Amino acid sequence: MNGELILFFVLALVAIGSGILMLNLTKVVHMVIALVFTFLSIAGLYVMLSAEFVAFVQVLIYSGAITIIMLFGIMLTRHDDKTETKIGAPRMILVLTGIVAFFVVMFFQINDLSFGEQAADLHVDNTEKIGIALYSKYVIPFELTSVLLLVALVGAIILAKRDDKDKGAEDNE
Amino acid sequence: MMDELLYSSPSLTNTLIFFGLGASLLMMVLGFVTYAILAERKVMGFMQLRIGPNRVGGPFGLLQTVADVLKLLLKEDTIPKAADRPLFMLAPVIAFAPAFMVLAVIPFSESLRFSDIGIGLLYYIAISGISTIGVLMGGWASNNKYALLGGMRSAAQMISYEVPLVMSVIGVILLTGSLNLIQIVEAQENIAFLFVQPLAFVIFMITSVAELNRTPFDLPEAESELVAGYHVEYSGFRWAFFMLSEYVYLFAMASITTIVFLGGWNPIPYLEFIPGVIWFALKFSLIVFFLIWLRATLPRLRADQLMSFGWKVLLPLALLNIFISAVIKEIWF
Repeated sequence: MNGELILFFVLALVAIGSGILMLNLTKVVHMVIALVFTFLSIAGLYVMLSAEFVAFVQVLIYSGAITIIMLFGIMLTRHDDKTETKIGAPRMILVLTGIVAFFVVMFFQINDLSFGEQAADLHVDNTEKIGIALYSKYVIPFELTSVLLLVALVGAIILAKRDDKDKGAEDNE
Repeated sequence: MMDELLYSSPSLTNTLIFFGLGASLLMMVLGFVTYAILAERKVMGFMQLRIGPNRVGGPFGLLQTVADVLKLLLKEDTIPKAADRPLFMLAPVIAFAPAFMVLAVIPFSESLRFSDIGIGLLYYIAISGISTIGVLMGGWASNNKYALLGGMRSAAQMISYEVPLVMSVIGVILLTGSLNLIQIVEAQENIAFLFVQPLAFVIFMITSVAELNRTPFDLPEAESELVAGYHVEYSGFRWAFFMLSEYVYLFAMASITTIVFLGGWNPIPYLEFIPGVIWFALKFSLIVFFLIWLRATLPRLRADQLMSFGWKVLLPLALLNIFISAVIKEIWF
């Protein structure tokens, strides 16, 4: 039992535990906070895999994204709003068998899985290598993704604008 | 000595040494916060033709902040009945922990540094974003209209100004070719990035003031509109934690500005005999003084002005700066 293993267990437990909490808590803001802990511990796991760049980009993107989700949660729900769920016994049993089957399949598959030789020098200049790979080997997927994001951005602006115009027209009538 | 420690294999002794170093850094930062608050009050007093604190601890009020902190610790810790207890108690922790975590990557001089990671600048920006969640959480958990409005304003402001902040340092990253803060300092051996990237420096200073929630961007805690903002229901030790995180961010932001734009521990030519730590401290103090100066001089912006300024002025300027830096790098370097 070395430090790495202990750290892995702590991070994995926090990630899974807050995932479960997120599903079981009743208030929207509490759920979002549970989500924060899941994402942070997953970032910790990335650091352990010597992928610091991915880890901190994840923190950067998700801390902003989660704040926005939280804002929506606050604005679109009432303060003491709680979700009430009622699940019948047959559905419970069905879900439970599904989970057990999934676990068994994944467990045996992961046990048999072999990645071959593990790379030992992943941590050397990995940010630079990601950049080089992205702009030489995978430049077309990268550009396509950026075009997709741009389209989404422009679409969002147009949708927001049109709404405003309609309102103005209604006011004039 | 520090480098040997950083590159040595991990062991129990090393863990204890790093724990001790971390604790001593925390003490140093707390000392800074104590005297930064006093300096802020003194400088603002001087600028407004007042005297400032002058009773506790000699003629300069040297123990004023210590007395204030003691008073805060002795105060009753109130939690409103309608507040969301667990989140109310967790919020100051989430607001403060990232403030101290970001200090891990800041190199103070060629020998005094606590880490050497390739993504130092990204780490700083990413981790400092977590504080927003703490602030918004505190505002929501207080179950108070003013607190909620302050928290919402703070979230909107910090997210909008993070974008130009990140964009403004991209020029520097382009010219250095690294995100490592140590290499950024070493790249400024001949000339500080302040002179190479003046536009980026101006954008960075404005957005950093907004990220710190200081005047003229202190809308989240605008006293005249929101009573006190997101921490209106907090008292005693928890309130002190919010204030502490604000001043620790002041420390971190002034350090990052020193490193990225003022050349860190690099000396001014012909004055190389002065050690690097002192140069760092001098440049750092200059930035802190500038931030206090701004606070005493400028009035507060309106909420709509703040948003349109961030998105319509700073962001296009930052993009323009990236474009110009790319062209300069292609031609000269």
